[in-house]
Amino acid sequence: MTEVNAPTEEVRDWDALARAAADRGDSSDSVDEVRQLLSFELAGSPYAVPVERVREIVRMRPVTPVPRTPDEVRGVISLRGEMIELIDLRRRLSLGSIEPSRTTRIIVIKTKDDDVVGLLVDAVREVLRVTEDAVRPAAGSETGTVNDLCKYRDEFVSILELDKVLTLDA
Amino acid sequence: MATRDSRSRPGRKADQEFVSEAEEILERMREDYADLDDQRAAGGEVEPDLINRLFRSAHSLKALAGMFGLESIQDLSHHLEDILDGLRLGRVPMDSPCVGLIDEAIHTFANLLESVGNEEALAAFNEPVEELATRIAASAKEVANSGDELQSLEIDDALLRALTEYEEHRLRENIRRGRHIMLVGSTFEIMSFDEGLSELSDAIRSIGEVLSTLPAPGETPESQIRFSLLVASDLTLSELTESLDFPDADVQSVRVGASAVEVISAPVEVDPTPQAAAATEMESLRSISETVRVDIRKLDELMNLVGELVIQRASIGEIAARLVAQRQNTQIGIELSKIHKSLDRKLKGIQSAVLEVRMVPMRQVFDKVSRVVRSLRRDLQKDVRLEVSGADTELDKLIVEELVDPLMHIVRNSIDHGIETVEERLAAGKDIQGCVRINAFQRGNHVVISVADDGKGIDRTALFARAESLGLVSAAGELTDREILNLVFAPGLSTQSQVSETSGRGVGMDVVRENVMALGGAVEVESTPGRGTTISMTLPITLAIIQSLIVVVGKHRFAIPINAVHETLLIETSEIQRSEGREILNLRGEPLLLRSLAEEFELGVSRPAEKQFAVIVGLGEQRIGLLVDRLDGQQDTVIKPIQGPLKNVRGFAGATELGDQDAVLVVDISGLVDDALSRKDGA
Repeated sequence: MTEVNAPTEEVRDWDALARAAADRGDSSDSVDEVRQLLSFELAGSPYAVPVERVREIVRMRPVTPVPRTPDEVRGVISLRGEMIELIDLRRRLSLGSIEPSRTTRIIVIKTKDDDVVGLLVDAVREVLRVTEDAVRPAAGSETGTVNDLCKYRDEFVSILELDKVLTLDA
Repeated sequence: MATRDSRSRPGRKADQEFVSEAEEILERMREDYADLDDQRAAGGEVEPDLINRLFRSAHSLKALAGMFGLESIQDLSHHLEDILDGLRLGRVPMDSPCVGLIDEAIHTFANLLESVGNEEALAAFNEPVEELATRIAASAKEVANSGDELQSLEIDDALLRALTEYEEHRLRENIRRGRHIMLVGSTFEIMSFDEGLSELSDAIRSIGEVLSTLPAPGETPESQIRFSLLVASDLTLSELTESLDFPDADVQSVRVGASAVEVISAPVEVDPTPQAAAATEMESLRSISETVRVDIRKLDELMNLVGELVIQRASIGEIAARLVAQRQNTQIGIELSKIHKSLDRKLKGIQSAVLEVRMVPMRQVFDKVSRVVRSLRRDLQKDVRLEVSGADTELDKLIVEELVDPLMHIVRNSIDHGIETVEERLAAGKDIQGCVRINAFQRGNHVVISVADDGKGIDRTALFARAESLGLVSAAGELTDREILNLVFAPGLSTQSQVSETSGRGVGMDVVRENVMALGGAVEVESTPGRGTTISMTLPITLAIIQSLIVVVGKHRFAIPINAVHETLLIETSEIQRSEGREILNLRGEPLLLRSLAEEFELGVSRPAEKQFAVIVGLGEQRIGLLVDRLDGQQDTVIKPIQGPLKNVRGFAGATELGDQDAVLVVDISGLVDDALSRKDGA
């Protein structure tokens, strides 16, 4: 079993991560519905988003602040000419903000309207393959940003409700 | 048309729309067919464009009929399309009797159109239509079966199947002319195959025609690629092999031509006639594809690439300047900057070429509008004529598309609300026939499209009263005439007390303004009671690369599209005058409203104490001065929308990349100016 650590290099063609995850899985257990989740770290805890919503993962780059926008919008980044809003996921989930570090990554997420948006996370971990029966409801979420937890190894990973997270009160 | 039995089918209005569009198509078909018949009778060659136009007309008719659920018309046009497609691709000869069926079909269409909206009359046509369709289908089938000469070729079926229809047509044509058909194969290094291939093709073209170039499967080393060229020539196999002088090429015969003997007697160089004939024929058939329909998104992609190149060019310039400044590298720097300059020129060439491709004349939109006006005249029973000028004015395709709805809406409003009834016009001593004038013209980097009517003009009192009742304004007397007029753009307003089907419930002018502003333009309204109303839209010529002025406020940089900048001034803080908290500059005797970008965008930076720059901006007639700390030169910018949950970020038209990965926000001047001018103090 290979361990995929937080990538130290920019993972543009991040299919490699997904492939690594697929290789790890036992090919015979195709009976259960398997979900693939990209896990990452925020304030020391694991979070995850469905891999099919992830377009790419890039390193921190210059951010241009946008006046008169909510606090959690850090600004706009230029990604190969595309102009993309960058949301500080820590601020969005009220986890307090920190300065970007060596492991900080931007996960580029596809939105419902065929747009993309960048999510700033502390570090990217790995792609998880989980069966539905590993998913448990998360009780007591007031904001609705996390409705499910998923048990992986001996940790509970919070699965983000992306559409909720990406709805900002402007 | 009004007398038609309205029980017969629902959607009488839809029928009318269909009939008026279909009539136009049919009219074109009649003309084209008459031309085709003339050219055919004269024994000359039929212009391929003519057939293409007919084909497109039949296709549009089919699509139109499909949209309105008129099956008989749809069926018939479908069959007609088959014949025309055959003619177009040379499968059906011009002297075929089925050409006459086109004429029959056009007549039948005309009869059918007369009866649209009346089920019974339409049903009466079922039989003759079916009969005609059967004949056309039979004729088309005959055509399809006639060409089996390809089966006799000694050639791989897979290769035959790979031919495009045009290539197949050329193949048949060459067989018919008795030429030798051969397959020339050659293997090339992958790294340089395009050069080798074009050398080989050129060599063959001097002695024959390359019908098709196909990559050939087979045993080749990995670094090589094999191609087969299907060739037609008057030369025989051995002659061609000899004169080709390509050691790597192997030639095999696919079909031995019939006229071989006579041709051999004539040396190739002395007998250019067959080639010349072939060339002209190629020419005429090629003209079919002289215009290419291109997905606008592909052009956008191209534009983006060009935009990125432009940005990268700027960094090359920077590097060159840095090298020049270092003593030991000066020479290299100078050479690099020369290259940079020539790159610059070529890039400008590409830029303008790509921009040009996107430009289309306004004519197509105006044509659409005039069709709508025709049906409106009927529906509203108003006597209106439409005058159009400046239809050749060109505009970015994307803008033209977005413009159709707003323009249509404005014209509808003019006819519905602006132009009076005949009685009213008589009473006012006006010409009975009202007039709506659409004019388009270029003004600098903008195109202005105005819609002027000679109707009753906007009733300020009614407009104001309506706005007041909706709670949009309070306390009369405070608004200027311009401000009152601008209320027509407020959401939910319509002065016509009766809501009409045509212009809806006053939803519209606000949407019009929104749409135009989204395109980086502005809308203005002028109106004289009793004389008429003019609505002008000012739009940028293109949405693609534009020059921007970079301004700096504190640590922030912003881009202002240069076409919105009128002038820049360095002003002393002491020159700024105040009125009720507003800052005003005396600009050559006229008061100019000033806005500080730092305060506007709540940047939390203090303004320079003594000198600052005022950038005079505005679209259309309205101006304001934006105060900034300093100016940072002009740059080529490609404005991109900002992606993400915020969508339209207030105050910004998008962002652009400057230098290395640096996103710079582009100020939405139109929005800012409107905001500033409409704001009551302090609000």
